[in-house]
Parts: sequence; structure tokens; C-alpha cells
Amino acid sequence: MFEGIEELRKKLDSGKLKVKDLAQQAVDASKKVNSKCNAFVTIIDKPKIKENKKSILSGIPYSAKDLFSTKGILTTGSSNALKDYIPFFDATVISRLKKSGAVLTSKSACDEFGLGGTGTTCHTGIVRNPYDENREAGGSSAGSAVAVASGVVPFALGTDTGDSVRKPASFCGIVGYKPTYGLIPRYGVLPFASSLDHVGVFTRSVKDAAIVVDSIKGPDSKDMTALPKTDDLTPLLDGNVEGKRLFYIKEICDIRSYDNPSDELKKSIKLFNEIIEKAKKLGMQVIPESIDQKLLNAIQPTYQVISCAEATSNLSMYTGIIYGPRGNGSNINEMVKDYRAHGFSSLIKRRLVIGSYVLQKENQERYYLNACRVRQMIIDKFNELFTQYDGFITLASGGGAPLFDGKTEVLSNEAVLENHLAIGNFGGFPSITIPAGFINNLPIGINITGKVQDDVNVLNIAYALEKDIKFKGGLHE
Amino acid sequence: MFSKEEIINYADKLLIGLTDEEANMLLDEFDIIDKNIDQINEIEGLSEVEPAFMPFNLYTATLREDKVEESVDVDVALSNTKDKLGREIRVPKVVD
Repeated sequence: MFEGIEELRKKLDSGKLKVKDLAQQAVDASKKVNSKCNAFVTIIDKPKIKENKKSILSGIPYSAKDLFSTKGILTTGSSNALKDYIPFFDATVISRLKKSGAVLTSKSACDEFGLGGTGTTCHTGIVRNPYDENREAGGSSAGSAVAVASGVVPFALGTDTGDSVRKPASFCGIVGYKPTYGLIPRYGVLPFASSLDHVGVFTRSVKDAAIVVDSIKGPDSKDMTALPKTDDLTPLLDGNVEGKRLFYIKEICDIRSYDNPSDELKKSIKLFNEIIEKAKKLGMQVIPESIDQKLLNAIQPTYQVISCAEATSNLSMYTGIIYGPRGNGSNINEMVKDYRAHGFSSLIKRRLVIGSYVLQKENQERYYLNACRVRQMIIDKFNELFTQYDGFITLASGGGAPLFDGKTEVLSNEAVLENHLAIGNFGGFPSITIPAGFINNLPIGINITGKVQDDVNVLNIAYALEKDIKFKGGLHE
Repeated sequence: MFSKEEIINYADKLLIGLTDEEANMLLDEFDIIDKNIDQINEIEGLSEVEPAFMPFNLYTATLREDKVEESVDVDVALSNTKDKLGREIRVPKVVD
């Protein structure tokens, strides 16, 4: 199904389509896509249907990343450490979607506990890109992106700690929106790095993203980081961007900043420049800004240090003693060690050891605290720019989805262009990726980021550009 | 710069068992993270900046009303536990 939420609503309301049949379509499509792309941990054969005639989402099927706690439904975090875990409660967003009548039809695979950006570390195997099964779907919310791109469901839930919604959205040719930090409560979402973790949504249009977020945002007494009530976003989408001011970073999106740009990068930046021209024709000003290259180079190491440190703290709750498959050993330490040795993948173990190292008293200043200082400098720089501009526009990636290279995910020195979306997590800025076009027959996205709690502005810029780009999200066969 | 023994020691502190291959991969990754951290530490004026532990500070802590709230039924809370005795989880002996 490639209809948007509003189209499906009309069909349901007119009686042309029945909720039960729509749910069954989603289940059948999930199975078909799973055989090619391995996108799901659980497909719910008989989804629970409880309509709410007052909600636009009533009867609309969706998928949730397997980090969201779902009452009575397997929630694994895509990890062997939780392979049999069935929560007895719903995450707040799942509970809100349930109340709105939305129908959960699957739990999608992701990089284990959300750590990773390739969709290759799920305990159920690698997730494949629907545009080319020899390529990554991106991660960590790989399965959710595949579900929406393949037309299995009109929307899916993901989480975004570094770019885990916005990068797979780029690789799968769909919309990926991470609102301001705290706009959507995280209660019941398996944590990775709490100060960077956001709930996000995948859809095939900007308006659908606003509709879904309106249904799940708002204060939550169970999440102290949840923000107070805000106005709904959907009614404020008017596409009026006349006079808006955007900036891009020369060091990232100007081809002259690269010594030996690849053919793919040249094409990507050419596409970016075409989008800039469209923005200008819509009445926006787009101005290049320069940021200290040292600060840009520090984005990836800052993310590595902070995310690993917080993951070490968050994942320490997995012991295999109270729940989870209990490890073998003659004492409690041996049992925990055995459980973790077999439950955690190699990637997770390595990240946790790095996190522990940077948090050791003797290393804290050099690694963890200095990374947190750079985080503040980056936040300050962007907040300063947001006093002059309505948004930051950038490429979501330097090209289309990469081929599987047979290597496991290892720390590396990647280009700034592949990691700069983490800026949105450092500052909790609202940030959205929308499809921009194709490079070598693969989709690629552009990203708009704005100041904290200015989600409406970010969505409106994306909404206006989306209309002009005329890329209907998703893989239409 | 880092030794395998150091890495195994850090893993042990976390109660994480590493294979030989994982320890070797970590050795390479520690070198990368150490080089990467130099990119952080060469930024001017770093020592004058307060570290950011959260994206922003918009939070106001409020105390909830002193009322009894709904709690989880014990049987439900124990539903994922394979080794239980009545209303309790049976755990390995930790003291002699």
C-alpha cells in the first residue's frame, strides 16, 4: 500500500476498505518483504484492532522498531540478550497509538539495541535495502525504513541517537523525522544513550510525519525529559516559506571543499545544488556559512565517546539474572559474564568496553568530559546560527546506500558528511530527512534542521520543498 | 599503545567475556578512538567550556501528588522470570 494516511482514512471512512482487510494486507506484505529484506523480528499474524472513530489513525497499520516495549508482544532490542522477552507494559507511544486506534502489525529489526548505523547487527540477520538487496538499508532503524519504503505500512516508529531515523530514510527514499528532544516521550523504549536518544517516525510524506507525531507527542509523567504540551503540527503546515533563511555548511556541501571527490559525491552535491535552487525559487534565501573544520572533524569522535559512555551505563541492566536467558557459572559474576558473552554481539561488547574506558576516573577528563565540552561548543555554534536563520539544509548522506562489504561494523575515521546529522542529537534540534532524488539509481535525501521547539518551521520548509521536488516517497513497483 | 591485557581487564570489570578475535578488534579500535580524541583535544578554548550532559535545559522537576498509583501485579512482574519461587525470583547464592 502506497497511499498516505489521509487517503487510507478516506477509503476506510467511505467503506471502500475495511480495517480488518487493511491490517491483513499489511501482514501479507510484511511476509513478502521479509523474505527479501529480512526487515522484521515479529510479524503479528492476528493484529489487535480497536478502532477510535475520533482519530485519523484509527485502523491504520504500522510497524514499530523492536526497541519499543509492546505488552504481550516479543520485544528483543534485536539482541540475543532479550530474545525471549515479552514486556508486561506498553511504551507510552505504543499506548498512545493504541488509544488512537492504530494497528500494530509488526516489530521491525534494527541494529542491536540501536547501536550501529548499517542494519547488519540484528540478531535475526542483516536487513536489506528494497531498492537493491545487495545494499544496506541504513541503521539503526533499518526494518522500519524498509517497511515504509516497501509499502508494507504508511508509517513506522524508529529511534534516532546519531542519525538512526534520518540516514535510513535517505537510503530508502522516504521521510524520516526526529522532532525536538523530549517532544515524544521515551518511556518504555529500550535505551541506548539517553541524552541523545529520540523517538522518530518514518512516513512517505511530510504531512503524514506531522500527523503521526501529533498523535504521540506530549508530556508524560513517566518521562521527566518529556516536554510540556505544544500545539499540534499538522494544522500549521501551510508550505509558506517566503522569506525564510536557510544556511548550508561550505565545508560539507561545497564540492570545492574536497580534494579528490568521488563521482558519487560530485553527483550528490550537484543534486544538493539543484535543491538549493528550488528553495530559492520558493522564496527562501540560502546562504553558505563556514564552520571551523576542527569542530566539524570533532563531531564523530564526540558522538563515539558520549554514546559509548552512556550505552555502558544503560546496558548494565542486562544481567540475565532477573530475566533473559540465564548464563552458566558457579557464582553470580560468572553467570552474568557468560550471559553477556553469549547474549551481546561482538559490536555491543566492544562499544561497552570503550564506554567503560572513557568513563574511568583516570580517563574521564581527556575523553568523556572533553567530548561533552565539544558537544556544548557545537550546540552553541548552531544556536548562534539559528538566531540568524530559520534552518540548516544539508545532504543526509554523501551518496546512496552502500554495498554490504562483508566487514563487521568497526570504528573508523569516516568523512564528516557521513556523521554530521549527529548535530541534531547533540542539541536536541528538530531534524527531518526528505527524499531529494536518485544517484546511480539509488535514493538520497536532504535534511533540514532547526532550532529547539521550532518543529513547525522545520516541517514547513520540508513540506514546501517536498511539493517542489515531486519525489513520491517509497519504492513504487 | 594499548595492550591486550588492559583491554581484557576493562572487559572483566564490566563482566563481559571477550573472544581473542574481539580483543584484537578492540585493540585496533582503541587506537582509532585515541587518534580521534586528539581531534577533540586540539580544539582551542576547550577548557573554558562547561560540558553538556543534555541537549538543553528546559526541565522543571515537579513532585507528583502523594496519592497511591496503579502498580504492577506481582505475577505479571514475574512473567519473564524462568526461575521463581512463589512471589520471588530464585537467584544464585551470592554470600557464603
